[in-house]
Amino acid sequence: MSETILTVDSVTKCFGGLTAVDDVSFTVQKGEIVGLIGPNGAGKTTLFNVISGYYSPTKGSVVFQGNDISGKPPYHLAGVGIGRTFQVVKPFAGLTVLENVVIASFLKHPKRTDAERHAWQVLETTGLADRAHVSAAGLTLAGRKRLEISKALALEPAFLLLDEVVAGLNPTEADRTVELIMKLKGQGLTILIVEHIMRVIMNISDRLVVLNFGRKIAEGTPAEVCGDAQVIQAYLGEAAA
Amino acid sequence: MKTTNSRGPAILGILVAALLILPLVVHDTFVLRVLTEGIMWIGLAIAFDVIAGYTGYLNFGHGAFFGIGAYTIAILMMQANLPFWAALPAGGLAAGVVALIAGIPTLRLKGAYFAIATWALSRAIQQLALNVEFTGGPDGMRLNAFLNPQFFYYLMLITVGLTFLILWYLLERAPFGLKLKAIREDEEGAKALGLNPTKLKMQAFILSALPTGILGGIYAYWITFIDPSSTLGDLVSDQAVVMVVFGGMGTLFGPALGALLIFAFKTIFWAYLSDFQLLYLIILGALIAVSVIFIPNGLWGTLFKRKAAPPRREEPALTAVVAPEEGN
Repeated sequence: MSETILTVDSVTKCFGGLTAVDDVSFTVQKGEIVGLIGPNGAGKTTLFNVISGYYSPTKGSVVFQGNDISGKPPYHLAGVGIGRTFQVVKPFAGLTVLENVVIASFLKHPKRTDAERHAWQVLETTGLADRAHVSAAGLTLAGRKRLEISKALALEPAFLLLDEVVAGLNPTEADRTVELIMKLKGQGLTILIVEHIMRVIMNISDRLVVLNFGRKIAEGTPAEVCGDAQVIQAYLGEAAA
Repeated sequence: MKTTNSRGPAILGILVAALLILPLVVHDTFVLRVLTEGIMWIGLAIAFDVIAGYTGYLNFGHGAFFGIGAYTIAILMMQANLPFWAALPAGGLAAGVVALIAGIPTLRLKGAYFAIATWALSRAIQQLALNVEFTGGPDGMRLNAFLNPQFFYYLMLITVGLTFLILWYLLERAPFGLKLKAIREDEEGAKALGLNPTKLKMQAFILSALPTGILGGIYAYWITFIDPSSTLGDLVSDQAVVMVVFGGMGTLFGPALGALLIFAFKTIFWAYLSDFQLLYLIILGALIAVSVIFIPNGLWGTLFKRKAAPPRREEPALTAVVAPEEGN
């Protein structure tokens, strides 16, 4: 059947006395979109940082395409096919939009002219081509979020980690981003997405993993998760459950 | 990335031709000497800009690489009796090795901390040269004089010209320059794009040190006398900083322009106002402050390049929305 691309196996991440992620396990199958949700402070971004190599797990392991990648540095993971975006967007502000994407393109296209050609293609896909020569600092928030996706895509990853790429956008912009995500899924990309906007995450995810206080409290299709008592309690409080 | 205008290469060609012919026309030793030193400063400034402008690490110990090059050549020529041509590459190599060793701890630091650490390290190297035997201590070293102004003019011109070409290719044409700029703009973000900041910063630091060491070596042989204050003192680093900041960081033409103007000013100042050397340092300090405040892109950036990122003050609220949630 489907092939497992990512296995998160009992990952724990502590910062001093604080356990931000507590014994979380789940898998992601090739070609699927898995949504990672949970209230504020649930550990979603920490888990993202563990998977993308920014933190090494205190316990447990992350296996990507059969290789243990726990604790490997981010630049190594970019090389094996993991692209990520940042919740707090990180544009190279002093460079143009095109240059930002060209830098990511170098990973697969070491020659500058090839990288530039590839960057243009990516910008066409993400709808930023008309802003290519604008300084990245001059983009709107929607533009900067789109630039984040463009940079991750320019790595030509097999697996994409999207950290709140829709939050903060107006409904029109949000719809365009969702459209883009679905297009990427159509191209065979596997996606793990953190998102606060339920309308979005419920619609695009094949499966959801729910975190609360660092622990996984539920996993399943959006419909299953919505009916889960623990999830309702985490989001709406004791009385509602 | 793009040449600023189509006349650029033509102007550059004329300039190079003029520089090549100059010693055949000008026989005044003083003028030739001033020009030689001016060219040397262009080399020092562009080499400094590799780490400071492109990579964003303000190295206040650049002068140490210059001094190490100078001392390496002096020691090899005077104590090991090596010929100049054999000693010269060793000067660059020594500076490169020191950059590698010094870079391991210092390149972990950022901003002002890197500046302080490199400054302190260069002071330590100066103290070392003052206190050990084989450098001649505070008396410095005297080299066998080779009095041929034309030779040194051309040697300096070729060395700086080659340095410029190599740096221009690596920084403006090859991917390397853009990668360094990515490190400068956001080191964490660069990692996600497959860039290894530690490796790139180290390469930049060594690339900055190599030509600086070679220039120091040429300087030692040319001036025939070096001591810890002239080659390992603050002035080399400080002037390089001012030249680059004033001329325009993160470009090659900016520092070259800055070097020319500052050096011309220095020459005139010291020729006519040599009683007020302290004033020169005060002016340097003031100039760096004024440049940072009024022309953050430097002279070159202000005159020729695209304008700075347009200030987008109209949407601070949106950045505030995403900013506070780090480390969910």
